[in-house]
Amino acid sequence: MGRFVHLRTRLTVLYAGLFGFAVLLTAIAVFVSVSANARRQVQDELTAGGAVFDQIWALKSDQLADGARVLARDFGFRAALASGDAPTVDSALQNLRSRLALDRAFFVGADARLTGAPELDAAAGEALWRALDGGADSGVLQLGGQTYQAVAEPVMAPDLIGWIVFAKSLNRAEMESLEALAAIPLSATVLTRTGEHGWRSPDNPQLAGDDLAQLAGAAKSGNGKPTQLHGRQGEDIALAKPLSVFGEGEQAVLVLRYPLKLAMAPYNALMVSLMLVGLLGLAVMIAGSWFLARSITRPVSALDEAVRRLRDGEDAKVEVSSHDEIGRLALSFNVMAAGIRERESRITALALTDQETDLPNRRALEAVLEKTPADGLYVVAVGVDRFPQVRAAVGYGLAAAMLRQLGLRVGQTWPDSLCARLSSERLIVMLKADSLESAVSMTGQLVEDLSHPVQMGEQTIDVGISAGLARVSEDHPASPIDRAGIALDQARGAHLPVAAFDAQAYGDPASKLSLMSEMLRAFEDGSIQMAYQPKHDLRAGAISGVEALLRWKHPTRGFVSPDEFVELAEETGHIEALTRWTLIKALEDQKTFRDAGHDLLMSVNLSGRMLGNPVFAREMIALIGAAGGRICLEITETAVINNPEEALGIIESLRDAGIAISIDDYGSGLSSLTYLKQIHADELKIDKAFILTLDQGSRDALLVKSTIDLAHSLGMKVVAEGVETAAGLALLGGMGCDIAQGYFICRPRSLKEVIDFLSPAETAPAQGDARTA
Amino acid sequence: MMRLFLCLLTLMMAPMPAVAGDLVMTVRDAGGRAVPDAVVTVYPASGTPKGPIRFSWPLTVAQQNLQFQPFVLIAPVGSAVAFPNRDKVQHHVYSFSAGNRFELKLFGRDESRSVTFKAVGVAAIGCNIHDGMIGYVKVVDTPYAIKTGADGVAQLSGLPSGKATVKIWHPYLRAPANELSRPVVLVAAGAVRQTVAVELRQSAGHGH
Repeated sequence: MGRFVHLRTRLTVLYAGLFGFAVLLTAIAVFVSVSANARRQVQDELTAGGAVFDQIWALKSDQLADGARVLARDFGFRAALASGDAPTVDSALQNLRSRLALDRAFFVGADARLTGAPELDAAAGEALWRALDGGADSGVLQLGGQTYQAVAEPVMAPDLIGWIVFAKSLNRAEMESLEALAAIPLSATVLTRTGEHGWRSPDNPQLAGDDLAQLAGAAKSGNGKPTQLHGRQGEDIALAKPLSVFGEGEQAVLVLRYPLKLAMAPYNALMVSLMLVGLLGLAVMIAGSWFLARSITRPVSALDEAVRRLRDGEDAKVEVSSHDEIGRLALSFNVMAAGIRERESRITALALTDQETDLPNRRALEAVLEKTPADGLYVVAVGVDRFPQVRAAVGYGLAAAMLRQLGLRVGQTWPDSLCARLSSERLIVMLKADSLESAVSMTGQLVEDLSHPVQMGEQTIDVGISAGLARVSEDHPASPIDRAGIALDQARGAHLPVAAFDAQAYGDPASKLSLMSEMLRAFEDGSIQMAYQPKHDLRAGAISGVEALLRWKHPTRGFVSPDEFVELAEETGHIEALTRWTLIKALEDQKTFRDAGHDLLMSVNLSGRMLGNPVFAREMIALIGAAGGRICLEITETAVINNPEEALGIIESLRDAGIAISIDDYGSGLSSLTYLKQIHADELKIDKAFILTLDQGSRDALLVKSTIDLAHSLGMKVVAEGVETAAGLALLGGMGCDIAQGYFICRPRSLKEVIDFLSPAETAPAQGDARTA
Repeated sequence: MMRLFLCLLTLMMAPMPAVAGDLVMTVRDAGGRAVPDAVVTVYPASGTPKGPIRFSWPLTVAQQNLQFQPFVLIAPVGSAVAFPNRDKVQHHVYSFSAGNRFELKLFGRDESRSVTFKAVGVAAIGCNIHDGMIGYVKVVDTPYAIKTGADGVAQLSGLPSGKATVKIWHPYLRAPANELSRPVVLVAAGAVRQTVAVELRQSAGHGH
């Protein structure tokens, strides 16, 4: 069944096949039963006919015998015979022949002499005598090539003197008269043969070949039961009846024959009409199942087709014409397909629309961008300056509405351009321009147009607008939209209303990332090294500590500033590894110092990020404790801005572990008294910006002096950085500063150099590096 | 047509002593059963004695119970045989046998006709009214003739010694003229015993 592509073909073939099979079975059953019936009928009639023929044969024989007997009893005839009166005997026989319509009538003497048969020779007489002497008295007699039904009657005078033989020819006419007596139109034939010679038919000499062979077969099996013959004219039913014979070694058989075709003839009409009815039924069945199957499968095919269309994303709807299961299925399908289409369009819309402003989103713009020729095409990022503050002032809802207003304004200025929302405060617009200059000036005009206050209901919001633009076709790894965004940042950085993307100023983020992996390698290959800047204790008049600094001599980039890679490490999360490495190195080197006889406090800069990582803090405490180090961690106030509570907690735990805390770069940036209050530091480092320009009586001097006093009053030591002159050092000493650090004392040097610097200095101060008590 | 003669013969022959030779002939059929009514005749090589032949049995064929009695009668040639009717019905006795043809038209009870048999041979006699009646008169030209009894044995005494021909005749004997011929050597004193097996044909529907 798997070969059928269509359900309707399958149904039609199935139904028609079943019906055809049933019709065929019926036809076979009818034919078998009819032909068996016909055969049986013919056999019955043949058997009955055979019995009738026996009687007729016997009757004819008796008639002949009666005539013969009368003659044989006739005294005069006997007297004539006994006296050898041949003429009288002949005339008597002649008389009987004509009277009884006999074909032959003659006398066979006991001495085998024949009377009344002049054409027969002595040999024939001998043969007859033998038969008659053997007791033959009736049967088939063959004489001179002719076949007869004959009887013989002995003549007693009073002893047996011979036999009278009466015979009638068995010709066709005789057989036809026999056939006429039968109830059915059968054909009767006598077959004879002598010895093993072939059979022949005296009544029908034309009979030959197959027919004769068939009949002979029937004759041989002449057991009184009908047999079947396969003649040239089809099947015959035949009945063979053996007949008695006169001749020695002779056989004779009466064969009754009836063609089966004739017997079947009455049923032919029945068979034909049965066949016709069967064929008609089959045709009606095929047509009916075809229509039925089509009516069933047409909606199914339609559904099949619709499902295929739905799968391909096309519009799919099925005509519903019925109310049955298929109709309901089609209805459900339509509902489902419509639902799918609706959801699909909604999802698509959602995917391409910014929900807050109903403006297209970045993806929508990207899709349009992809389809637009890149030549002369620019992308403009429009940003609302100080958006967080504006949003804080008017609320999220109005801020979004404001952005929407701006978007609509863009549409008014550049009607052909698509404006999408890029982020909370940024719009992104496509722009066609002949040149970069023209694009920049057009964008400048746009910024101007947008910079009018936005009316939001009752409220009027002043907006400052900046814009960055990027050429779409520019060869840069970042996408045009990202570049436009960067350009916006660059415009803001430069305090310009409009800026085009400047690739050089932006740098190469990829190279920055590679710098980090190179930094990790540099820890191993020694291209990052530690440098130490000694700190001079003004009260003790001696070097009391060093600040650990990083020096990276990059094999290709040359000297890489710590500002650069530390910041990058903070941004990329490598700061932890950098800090760990620095700390371990510093602890090692502190031991080296100690071994060289210099017990120095080791100051290590700690990134503010590490104050948000308690796990790392515990690791540091363990490391320091294990090395028995004296460490001062220098932090900036801003380190505690992000999460003051946690940062302060960590600071406390570090201090509890005996680690000194120093507030670095105090005075620059967001120095706040609050932090001074919160951070329980051991040391305050005044930013070198105050120290470098320190002069007697200047404002800096006043600030430094008061800061020193403030720190002292809070219990902190004060470190001054950037001490480059003897005057400055003297001044700081006068102000009560505790520790000085700077080029005047010693520039940052390698471990070995610092040890070398320290050792002679203990006895005699080094040249160039002044020291003051 | 024959004239009917009545001939009464008196049996005067006493059993002869076996001074001369004897012949004891037993006739049996193919099945070994005794064959009665077989006529045994002997023709010595020296010839038969001249003079009239006399037999010990009456030359009579009676019709009794629609049968000829006896079935077979041996009669000397030229003798007259009586045909007395002892039935209530009439009979029409005839014979078509060559040389001895006669016809005794209807004669009634206690009537008797006689026929002289002039030819040596066999006269088959029948009744034209009753098909079942058949009898035979064996007309012989030798005194040495006798028929077998119920035991199939025929005994002849006083035969001259020397070579002789023995003939056995029976109406049903399957042989030319229903007769067999045998040479025999007879002895002067004592009996010669012979047994002959004969083939009989079925009687053609008659009582015997």
